[in-house]
Amino acid sequence: MHVLKKITAIAILVMAVQAVYSQDPEIHGYVRNYTGALTDDPGNFSIIQNTLNLDIEKTGMDMGFKVNPNLYHYTNDEIDLGLREAYIDLYFKSMDIRLGKQQIIWGQADGVFITDVVSPKNLREFLLPNFEEIRVGITSLKADYYVGNHTFELVWVPEFVPTQYPDRESIWFPSMFPDDATIDQSQKEINPSIENSEVFFKYSLLSSQLDLELMAGYMWDDDPAMHMDRYNTNPQIPMPDSLVIHPQHHRITLAGGSFSTDIGGLVLRGEGAFYDDKYFSVATMSDEDGLVTKDYAHYLLGLDFVIGGVNFSTQFIQETILDYEDPIRQDEFENTMTFLAKDDLFRDKLTLEFFMYYGFKNQDALIRPTATYEVGSGLNLITGANLFTGTQGRFGQFNQNDMVYFKLRYDF
Amino acid sequence: MKTTRNLITAMVLMLWMAPGMLNAQDLTGKEIMENVYYRDEGDDRKGKLTMTLVNSRGDKRVRNLQQFYKDFGNVEKKIMFFLSPADVRNTSFMNWSYDDESKDDDQWIYLPALQKVKRISSDSKDDYFMGSDFTYDDLGERHPNEDTHKLLRTETRNGEACYVVESTPKEDGYMYSKTVTWVIRNKWIGLKKEFYDEDGDFLKTLQVKDYNQVQSFWTILHSVMENDQKDHKTIMEYKDVEINTGIRDAYFTERMMTRGL
Repeated sequence: MHVLKKITAIAILVMAVQAVYSQDPEIHGYVRNYTGALTDDPGNFSIIQNTLNLDIEKTGMDMGFKVNPNLYHYTNDEIDLGLREAYIDLYFKSMDIRLGKQQIIWGQADGVFITDVVSPKNLREFLLPNFEEIRVGITSLKADYYVGNHTFELVWVPEFVPTQYPDRESIWFPSMFPDDATIDQSQKEINPSIENSEVFFKYSLLSSQLDLELMAGYMWDDDPAMHMDRYNTNPQIPMPDSLVIHPQHHRITLAGGSFSTDIGGLVLRGEGAFYDDKYFSVATMSDEDGLVTKDYAHYLLGLDFVIGGVNFSTQFIQETILDYEDPIRQDEFENTMTFLAKDDLFRDKLTLEFFMYYGFKNQDALIRPTATYEVGSGLNLITGANLFTGTQGRFGQFNQNDMVYFKLRYDF
Repeated sequence: MKTTRNLITAMVLMLWMAPGMLNAQDLTGKEIMENVYYRDEGDDRKGKLTMTLVNSRGDKRVRNLQQFYKDFGNVEKKIMFFLSPADVRNTSFMNWSYDDESKDDDQWIYLPALQKVKRISSDSKDDYFMGSDFTYDDLGERHPNEDTHKLLRTETRNGEACYVVESTPKEDGYMYSKTVTWVIRNKWIGLKKEFYDEDGDFLKTLQVKDYNQVQSFWTILHSVMENDQKDHKTIMEYKDVEINTGIRDAYFTERMMTRGL
């Protein structure tokens, strides 16, 4: 079965390459080996992954296209073949249209998704892969209309694609529910139809004083609401003793925006989104399905600056549930910050980077130091670590997953 | 702004050329550096830029870019597309530089991996561009009013009559304590420039190896920046240069940064 899958994957890849090669496109991409081990178990590799990523593209005066197949190979000879993007561009005097599978990225935040809600995410390895790999391409129609430095963008997504979460067996599966709870995925699917499609709108301005984005979306909430059914299997006990969880996506409307501006050499950034009637889980056993709907806001302020040639960036992020009620599992306020320091040394041969997420409530963090060394033209050796601190919270729950790794990547 | 520049250049040239009114020795250091700054380079230009980084062992690393420039009157806009090496391909950088000296440049970078245009700090002028020996400020045009200029002497260099002008920054803490520039008379090209670091020690030299008239505009085509303190250099070659081709205003927008070449 594995062999058949491999042959099929390679055949599809070859056919795709041949089909577009006749158009005399540019072919670029990278080959990468990624090897890592958990620090708790250094004798065994937690990941050995080989990747081929191809960018096949052509840009003409009136049209262009891009196809981005990617192939991931793992130690057990498992092959994961994907198509991150495959779209056609049509260029007009004041308008561009892009149709096909594409990544759509909005907002000014780094490492945080606030108004960046159009493309779903692949969170099967938490937030650790490169962001180009976390974002999932989505089949959509995107139209941009330009007036000077103003852009009006409309996106129509005919088929909802949810964010991908880790399997229950994964070391990245979040500790949300009791281990003995049954998860029923049968209500999670959204049938593709015009009625079930998503629509997004964005206005953006790039000017000398200010870069501004305003957006709105009528979409499906990427985070499924965890509807709960509690059963009593033991008549001797008056309380329910069995739990079945039915993840279900719901419609949601959101509006938001972002800005960035230069103030005396500092770049000040901000981004925020307001969600109307988002579902939240509650802890009370008496509640019918364990859920309530509340308005919700998610926003940040960030500052980028340079000191002594080192680039620094910090962000403060807050999530707020409005009209809060005590039984809601999530806190009324959740505060997080990020910090980045980055320096290029030896004429950009070596880049050192330190990135950290920090959760205030649980005092937990994800710390990510990396060093990238340019071995040759297009060939980079990257070594780094993913270190979790704390015992609970968004990052602390993974404190057994500290990891060191290296990657060798050749871009062509 | 270019019209103003042309007028000023023409007036300076007329004054300088008028017999009996003013000769070369009568020009001040500031006037000479203004002639360099206001040299007519056309309303727009484009070309391919190759930077070769050479280390002390002679090892080379090559970066290729396509550059577009346009003068909009009170603002000059420049957009650069990185062509190679492959790991930076499709990255683009846009700079808006204002006539108003009190206004900092606006700069944005588009990183294809993030698919996002990001405003970057204008405070990074003393950063080295792509690991080369040129800082962002070296690649821009420093306004003559930002320095105090002193004409040191005149001398012939590479067969060209040159003014030698020392420029000292007015602001404290600028990355160079002074620069000395050899300016070719009549052509107003800096043929050679020496840079001294914040401690006053000699740092690096820029030497123009080739320049020519492209559509009647004097254009630097080949230059070398040699860092004396670190014993490495960067060779900068400017090819396929075209001037006044009527590059559209829309080229200097977020749309083009993301679309690429």
